[in-house]
Amino acid sequence: MITPNIEALSLGELRYIAHKQGIEDADMMDREDLLEALEEVYEESEDSLSGEGNSYSPSNQKRFMNTLVEHAVDIFTGALPGVEPLPEGYSETRIHLLLKNPYWAHAFWSICPQDLHKLDQAFDSFSFFLRVTMHMSPDQRLPEESYDIDIQISDSSWNINLPERGRVYSVSLYYRDPEDGVGLLCQSDTVSTPKSYWLDHAPKLAEDDARFSLLFSSLVSKGGVMVENPLLREVVERIDEQVGG
Amino acid sequence: MARNTIGLVLNAHMPYVRHPEYPRFLEEDWLFEAISETYLPLLRMLKRLRQEQVPFAITMSLSPTLCTMLSDPILQGRFTDYLRLHQELGQKEVARCEFEDSECQRLALMYLETINKNLEDYFETYQCNILSGFRDLEESGHLELITTAATHAYMPLFSEYPSAIGAQVELAVQSHINHFKKRPKGFWLPECGYFPGLEEYLQNEEIEFFQLAAQALVLSEEPVQRGNYAPVSCPNGVFGFARDFHLTNLVWSNAEGYPTDPVYREFYRDIGYDLPLDYIRPFIHEPEVRVFTGFKYYAITGKGNDKQFYRPDIAKKRVQEHAENFLYTVAQKGERLAPSLDRDPFYTLAFDTELFGHWWFEGIDWLEAVLRGAAKRGDIAFETQLDYLAKYPESQVLQPSLSSWGEGGYSDVWTDGKNVWMYRHILKAIERMEELAIRFPGQSSLKQRFLNQAAREVLLAMASDWPFIIHNGTSAMYAEKRMRNHLGNFNVVYENMCKNAVNTEWLVKAEKRNIVFPDIDYNMFNLNSTRNRYNG
Repeated sequence: MITPNIEALSLGELRYIAHKQGIEDADMMDREDLLEALEEVYEESEDSLSGEGNSYSPSNQKRFMNTLVEHAVDIFTGALPGVEPLPEGYSETRIHLLLKNPYWAHAFWSICPQDLHKLDQAFDSFSFFLRVTMHMSPDQRLPEESYDIDIQISDSSWNINLPERGRVYSVSLYYRDPEDGVGLLCQSDTVSTPKSYWLDHAPKLAEDDARFSLLFSSLVSKGGVMVENPLLREVVERIDEQVGG
Repeated sequence: MARNTIGLVLNAHMPYVRHPEYPRFLEEDWLFEAISETYLPLLRMLKRLRQEQVPFAITMSLSPTLCTMLSDPILQGRFTDYLRLHQELGQKEVARCEFEDSECQRLALMYLETINKNLEDYFETYQCNILSGFRDLEESGHLELITTAATHAYMPLFSEYPSAIGAQVELAVQSHINHFKKRPKGFWLPECGYFPGLEEYLQNEEIEFFQLAAQALVLSEEPVQRGNYAPVSCPNGVFGFARDFHLTNLVWSNAEGYPTDPVYREFYRDIGYDLPLDYIRPFIHEPEVRVFTGFKYYAITGKGNDKQFYRPDIAKKRVQEHAENFLYTVAQKGERLAPSLDRDPFYTLAFDTELFGHWWFEGIDWLEAVLRGAAKRGDIAFETQLDYLAKYPESQVLQPSLSSWGEGGYSDVWTDGKNVWMYRHILKAIERMEELAIRFPGQSSLKQRFLNQAAREVLLAMASDWPFIIHNGTSAMYAEKRMRNHLGNFNVVYENMCKNAVNTEWLVKAEKRNIVFPDIDYNMFNLNSTRNRYNG
């Protein structure tokens, strides 16, 4: 039998364990009643456990199972008692952009109820879209570009494709009104995707065996498996093209 | 003849798991397995080499959460129970195998002997705190102890929050000073997660070097001169050492690494799962949660389920072969590289410490054979990153590239479909913590403790362990519960402080539950606050 430290558990957790122990009317009981009922249950089983031998002996000691996190049950964790149910979003109009890798970022946002209310008041209908902006390069040789993604009002996150490496991106949340007018709700901080010298100079590596070996000898395993990385793969592909050409 | 130097970095980390509210807790076994199967045997091996005057120097990172748990009296007591439980199981197994399974009896005796040695070392040599063993090896010059982020946060995903990154680095150094009485000179980036600019935070804490993923230098914006065979100096003077994937993969590869050899011990065939429940019940988690016991009797053999019994004598020979193969590969590599390098190569090999002994049973024996073999040769030496920097204080100045050692080389592991939802809440908690630090600066007494606890909870929520565990799908519910509850705890403080109130009863319980970072100062989340440097 198992013995949780029931004094440490919350009311919700106690009720959960009480149900598991088959205690009737657990939902009606207050904390003291639950503790009393559970103590009775555990006392009964202690008597059947205590045995011979050294009291220190581990097999005579009490054991505990983490009854509140089932190990093999498909339950939404946030619904378990004793587990914090975090909100769907926060009462603010804000958008974040997290860089996953050089080609993908993850955007998530929330819109505060007051802003939604204002839109409801202002328009009969409206929709949202994300605008992904690739900012002008610092040397201004590459212009700013952007593309839009239509989303549902109920959406709160999206994986964003980043079409070009080595650029700076941000994402903005806009609304669109029935007359196709648009308005900015919020904009994220920027993220920078990495640039790599050898991506732009791969042909040099194709012509320089010694340099290629120096760089790649630490990146490829004995069995010929290269470090898993999309930019490295691209470098190798460009070298292959150069050699093949 | 080229002289090859290996900079071996062992990263020892466990997520902060401590549940004093329960008499026993399943996930605490992660720590106990690591201590009994890796840390204690590793300490024995390194001390044996030292005693025999085998020259070596390696770098080891011990995470703040791990150090806290290793020093915690409650967990020390529980580990003692764990060892005694396994000793009892060992005695029972020896008796059972004598009549039922004579092949296994030798193995049962072997495991029982290790447990007995662990008991002796844990009590008599270390008085239940094995950190003293690592400190001792550092004092004799055989280990360089470094630290890692306070709660092992994967830092590139928090790069927009300087207070959070600063707190992870500052508290890590603080923790290291508390446990080892000196400032660390090196820093293990969790998951080798690097973003350009991270070195500024390290420099603020007098860190001199850190390690990088294998591709971090090759993919930088400027061409790296010496590949991964020498460190680079970031523009601010902190050095970055990139891993050698080729040499590391000789060991750490599921497909082709040494540990996959068929004669080595199979990890997944354990009596905790194989033997009848009635027999094994007292030694697993009630009521029927089977767990690994460490009593494993089969060799890998092949991909199927038909396994042969494990033969330690055959495995020992293979260990020696693999050690020699490794050293041969290093030497040959040095010869090939010599024409392309203007200095002897330095190979950074970084591993999770728990690979040796726990995941790869023969790993510690292999490490010993490699260190002994290197010592006999004239062309391979094990030295630390600091040894290298003393010899070569100048290196190419280069900004490494954004990188990690996770699948894909970036942040995908920690932002997949199953775990990316966490960041909405964690980043909000960081912002609110900053708000609290600004609104309530320089508090004392109960409010200070309350706010400090909030800071602890935010940092614990930031641990990379939770999204990683969820990504892997093992103990996912536990990881999610932990992350949610830390944020829930933070919210208790936030909501109370918004009413300028302190919940003392809650605070006392929370402080007892999460005792990590006793010297934390919540003001570190206010970047404008003036604070004194912590020196212990």
